[in-house]
Amino acid sequence: MKKVKFAVALGAAFIVLILLQMLLVPKYMLHSQEGALIGEYYDNAGSNDVIFIGDCEVYENFSPITLWEKYGITSYIRGSAQQTIWQSYYLLEETLRYETPKVVVFNVLSMKYDTPESTGSQSRREAYNRMTLDTMRWSSSKWNAIRASMTQEEKEKEALLTYIFPILRYHDRWSRLTREDLTYWFGRDTVSHNGYLMQAGIKPFQAAFQEPPLADYSFGENSWNYLEKMRCLCEKRGVQLVLIKAPSLSPVWWEQWDAQIEEYAKQHNLLYINMLDHQREIGLDWTTDTYDAGLHLNVYGAEKASAWLGKLLADKCHVPDRRDDETLAAAWSEKAARYYEQKRRLENEKN
Amino acid sequence: MKKISLAALALWIIACLWGCGASDAPSKQDGFAFTYNAVQITPGAQAEAALEALGKPKSYTEEPSCAFDGMDKTYYYGSFYLSTYPLEGKDYVLRIWLADDSVATAEGIRIGSGQGEVEKAYGAACFNGSNAFVSTKGDTRLTVILEDGAVTTILYEAIVQ
Repeated sequence: MKKVKFAVALGAAFIVLILLQMLLVPKYMLHSQEGALIGEYYDNAGSNDVIFIGDCEVYENFSPITLWEKYGITSYIRGSAQQTIWQSYYLLEETLRYETPKVVVFNVLSMKYDTPESTGSQSRREAYNRMTLDTMRWSSSKWNAIRASMTQEEKEKEALLTYIFPILRYHDRWSRLTREDLTYWFGRDTVSHNGYLMQAGIKPFQAAFQEPPLADYSFGENSWNYLEKMRCLCEKRGVQLVLIKAPSLSPVWWEQWDAQIEEYAKQHNLLYINMLDHQREIGLDWTTDTYDAGLHLNVYGAEKASAWLGKLLADKCHVPDRRDDETLAAAWSEKAARYYEQKRRLENEKN
Repeated sequence: MKKISLAALALWIIACLWGCGASDAPSKQDGFAFTYNAVQITPGAQAEAALEALGKPKSYTEEPSCAFDGMDKTYYYGSFYLSTYPLEGKDYVLRIWLADDSVATAEGIRIGSGQGEVEKAYGAACFNGSNAFVSTKGDTRLTVILEDGAVTTILYEAIVQ
């Protein structure tokens, strides 16, 4: 009888801990919605012909709805804030457990970061890590992604355990809980449109962003290693890897970086598209198509960029038009309705 | 024994909830600093006082960071750019980038200085073997880039932890 009581007490304590953890972790519903993106994939996995992988330059600059409506391309964006290339690799590895797309589009900006420390402040890096890793489902890919992503400071603090039990990381949020935490304690809304985070504001580009020259433009060994791993994984799984540089004006994409990617693509017979070179063809107008003065596109710019890239994916990569598939058409019609509803709402808020 | 286990578990939960986060404040160590019109600007230091002393910039740009509040800001003062980054509601000096030869480092190096002068000022050991002298002091870094034997870029940066 005592053993039963003990087991019940232990079980109850465990449930309390789980409930506390659910309450204390950030929800990313009203603020920093980027943190919700990775976890939203799992309900949409399985029928995507194109998977985008990368940082904010994918989840802000491309609209899967436009790809569907214009070309019948099914796609999902596995993007997250300041996603590093090692995270991209493990997200790709994980994605390929759920589906085998025809094309993976990888945005190459993250090649500039060779180590977690090279991305800037370690505390901010850790916060970015959480946004990508916390909502990933458990698998060897997540485990390896955590190990590759931890900053030196996290390693010194032996923070691995905090990724397994996030309550150890977020316990001190108890004094900063908000209504958002209570509202989304037991369930979250969907914030993205197949990984696309919509912005409808307009803040025109005004002046060229000034960044000082670099002492060394060579990408680091670690970055090259993960790009090569991505290429080999795609090759092994029969997936075409397409490298892009999305059309964002900042951070600066140096021509020396561009040349290195171009050379790599040439060596391995990959398609590499620097969309900054095609701004006119895309039809980008930096007075209306960006919500933050040129760093990212707003929905109007994202629709233009997607329309342009979609044609290329259909023509050059032979991604099929699925609009004749009734099941898919019905599912995408629902997604489109939600998309246009949000677009209208954001436009009304703006006016 | 079981009561002790449960008590230990309860204590652990309380400990978890009671703990406090680590401070993100930049460390304050001596480092490189750039001085302009008697205003000392130190990478990693709070920017407010320097910005006030420097007065109105010739131009200003700002960039939001992905997912976080606050802006990375760049102020242009004609002969140099000063960039800041936000942390806990305050702006800190990220970088000072000298733009013309009207300003110089404390050691007298300016745009156009020769490799020999840079070597004399900072030591040959700082040369990266190809085109730049990179020297760190405390939580700051000074980078001097040369092209065709002459300095083209001088950059003070905070090493952000």
